Amino acid sequence: MTGKQATLLEVKDLSIELIRGQERRPVLDRVSFSLEERAVLGLIGESGSGKTILAKAIAGWIAPPLFRKGGQVLYRGRDLFGLSEADTRALRGRHIGYIGADPGSSFDPTIPVGVQIAEKLRAVRPDIPMAQAAKRTIELLDRVRIPSAARRYREYPSQYSGGMLQRAMIVDALVAEPTLLVCDNVTQPLDVTVAAQIVRLLRDLREDIKAGILFITTSVPVVSEIADDLLVLSKGRVVERTTPARMVAAPEHAYSRELLERMPRIWTEQPPLRSTVDAQAARAKAGGKTQPILSVQDVTKHYSVPDRDRFFGKQIVQAVRGVTFDVFPGDNFGLVGESGCGKSTLSRLLSWVEPPDSGSILFDGKDIATMSARERLTMRRGFQLLLQDPYNCIPPNLPVGRTIGFSLQVHGAGRKEIQEKVDAVMAEVGLPRELAERLPIGLSAGQRQRINIARALVLEPRLMILDETLSSLDPMEQARLLDLFEKLQASHGLTYLFISHDLAMVRKVCTRIAVMYLGKVVELADNQTVFMKPAHPYTKAMLSAVPVLEEKPYRAEDCLLEGEPPSPIDIPEGCSFRPRCPLAIGRCAQQEPGLKVVAPHEYAACHLAA
Amino acid sequence: MGFILTFLARRLAQGLLIVLVVSFAIFALVRMAPGDPARTILGGMASDELVEQTAREMGLRDPIIVQYGRYLAGILQGDFGTSYIKSESGGASMGNQDQIRSARASVGSLIGSTLPYTLQLAGLALLITLVVSIPIGIAGGVHAGRWQDKFAVYLSSVFVSLPNFWFAIVLALVVTAKLGWIPSIGYQGFAYTILPAIVIAVEMSPIFIRSLSVSVADTLRQTFVEVAAVRGLGPRRILYGHVLRNAAVPILNLFGVQVGALLGGVLIVEYIFDYPGIGLLTVQAVTQRDFPVIQGVAILSSAIFVVVNILVDLAAARIDPRLES
Repeated sequence: MTGKQATLLEVKDLSIELIRGQERRPVLDRVSFSLEERAVLGLIGESGSGKTILAKAIAGWIAPPLFRKGGQVLYRGRDLFGLSEADTRALRGRHIGYIGADPGSSFDPTIPVGVQIAEKLRAVRPDIPMAQAAKRTIELLDRVRIPSAARRYREYPSQYSGGMLQRAMIVDALVAEPTLLVCDNVTQPLDVTVAAQIVRLLRDLREDIKAGILFITTSVPVVSEIADDLLVLSKGRVVERTTPARMVAAPEHAYSRELLERMPRIWTEQPPLRSTVDAQAARAKAGGKTQPILSVQDVTKHYSVPDRDRFFGKQIVQAVRGVTFDVFPGDNFGLVGESGCGKSTLSRLLSWVEPPDSGSILFDGKDIATMSARERLTMRRGFQLLLQDPYNCIPPNLPVGRTIGFSLQVHGAGRKEIQEKVDAVMAEVGLPRELAERLPIGLSAGQRQRINIARALVLEPRLMILDETLSSLDPMEQARLLDLFEKLQASHGLTYLFISHDLAMVRKVCTRIAVMYLGKVVELADNQTVFMKPAHPYTKAMLSAVPVLEEKPYRAEDCLLEGEPPSPIDIPEGCSFRPRCPLAIGRCAQQEPGLKVVAPHEYAACHLAA
Repeated sequence: MGFILTFLARRLAQGLLIVLVVSFAIFALVRMAPGDPARTILGGMASDELVEQTAREMGLRDPIIVQYGRYLAGILQGDFGTSYIKSESGGASMGNQDQIRSARASVGSLIGSTLPYTLQLAGLALLITLVVSIPIGIAGGVHAGRWQDKFAVYLSSVFVSLPNFWFAIVLALVVTAKLGWIPSIGYQGFAYTILPAIVIAVEMSPIFIRSLSVSVADTLRQTFVEVAAVRGLGPRRILYGHVLRNAAVPILNLFGVQVGALLGGVLIVEYIFDYPGIGLLTVQAVTQRDFPVIQGVAILSSAIFVVVNILVDLAAARIDPRLES
């Protein structure tokens, strides 16, 4: 795509500053690039590189505390910053479409999605009558493969899933046939299989929407799928302009190389062989009769929610439907699955925040349900849960040292003992000593997560459940904490249960992995088997959707799923994965497959595996 | 449509239960309070035997639950009982035991003759409140931190610090007695409603102004409002079509709660202005231990409260479908 096409967008020496009180900080520093009509330009950078601000500048959305310091954004030769309010409004939505990273809160929750899209079309094209706007919206909803679009037109944002809302945002941006489309991190909040569908959809739409696209993302493999050209943004500056192929093969700038280095690797990454071997050796030494530290036996949990259409009616949400697995001492057990698969409910059950409806959970061979309150308290010392959000679980009004020591206080330790242990544990997780006296104000997510780790560790637990603990951290901090976990495991003999949707992370650290789908474990095997020789078609589909630069052992085209996971209220009969399964046979519709042995220590719930 | 019907059926059933509980609580409490209505009816001069006999005849010595059952049975037939004190002609028939029941006013007719006045007063008060609060509150929320916001805060502070009884007396003295602009005290026409309504409105507006400001300012910070401009919607459309719509939900809920305050406000203000509504009737009934009237008013108030809140919830669920479940 070189040559004589006209320039659609030209950004010239754009500098933007953040000014808030005394704080003055450049966000974008003399950014220059151009985008031709109908071309797709990728923009890649880490969080904090200024890429979202750049997207907003192009969409005409720069408001205090952000100020333009210099430069221009020229849309077909007109500077967006020089336009009157009315002229800006005439461009926005009509000629420049914008899709953000937050589809969940981009629509008014009180108005049906379709109506809002038609409203937007009528706002920028008052000449189109309402009936026609509605018809066009429904056609486009259908075009982005929203099932039964005419009915969905009338449904509210809360009735849409995240993936469907992102499709609706795409429709919203495209409905007025813009000439420039800004896609800001559109796949970021979505599960891997859904994100892969969205990228595929945008690639398909590319040909017939006739718009130039600026595609902003943090992922090199995602951008490689769609963009002609690629810009690398670091700390508010464009450091390299290249093509996706050249970026992967021969990145020029040091930062580009670093970025590439940090992209997730799954198939060229070595699994943590050492710890697998250690755990197995330990188990062998005990004569194969090692007792699992945590044993989950056929656990179920249902919630009932009121049914809006029936008097006193109830609907049953089957969040966890019979999960069984064992975690052995020294294991790094991984529990993976997409949103809504029941991982988080399971973690609440495991930590006994609420009891399961049926089945039992054994800690150290003892059923938690039959424990006395005192026993349970003792058990909790050995059994700690770390959550995803490092902000809301630390009291803002207590000094850090008190927060860490508080759990010891609960378990009845003396003052001197608490002081010593807190000091020791803070040093161990890498928190500076003087932090003990300070309030947790202004600490980074990574430091807050360390406080949480210290708070759990101070009780000398034997098992830690990490529920998406690292998901909100940037890759650097994530790597540092993983090193810390490894160190702690070696020195304290900890067992970890990782609950995560981040497959690259799971590949790097877990020894055994359970894959969940719609409240059930569909596959359970060791790391190497799950990633290299998965027995269940869902595992394969999920793995094929992970954006990586490596050669994958199977092609996404063969196993990528259509549609989204069904709701846990209407679970399909027979195999719950059947409606999305490319391999489904007649038997799958009638009989639900149980988890069965496919090879020693490998289990899968599929009629076709064995 | 099915949703509205099941919603109404479910909420009305709940509402009925609430009214029952409230009426029983009131019923029991009035009877536990010191003071014997038989003594009140017969007057201080009547002998203890006569008081005891009358009390027995009236069923006042039965267990409370039996009395309550009898009372409920009456209500089902549309009979809310008769006042112990008030006669049909309006005056009190104290100590005149010869022409007892026939001359005494039924609670139904007492309420029926005072309710229209109170509804008129409450309606006007509400109208003034909304006319004052809506523009000031919205302006304060849209221009957070600017003069409109400060004006809203100062006005609310002034209003909230005026005690209603003091303000009522001052208004009556200055506007009616001194200047003779608007009549008040008693009732001889619609103009007599204006001053009491202003007093109630001044009491209620600060809450509405503040909540509206906060609600509008909060909604303006929501992502979908920011995104709406980028999607190409004009500022007017965003404000009227989306911001106010979303900001209305908390205000509606507040309104439902404030109905209670409105009823309480009416009580005091009617008493001060000698305004012939339910409030005045209630105050008199309480001082005279006129149980049937107190109960009738209590049931009526709780029924109004329940119905208004059902309507509020229905309206809120119409605006925001997430509230339906």
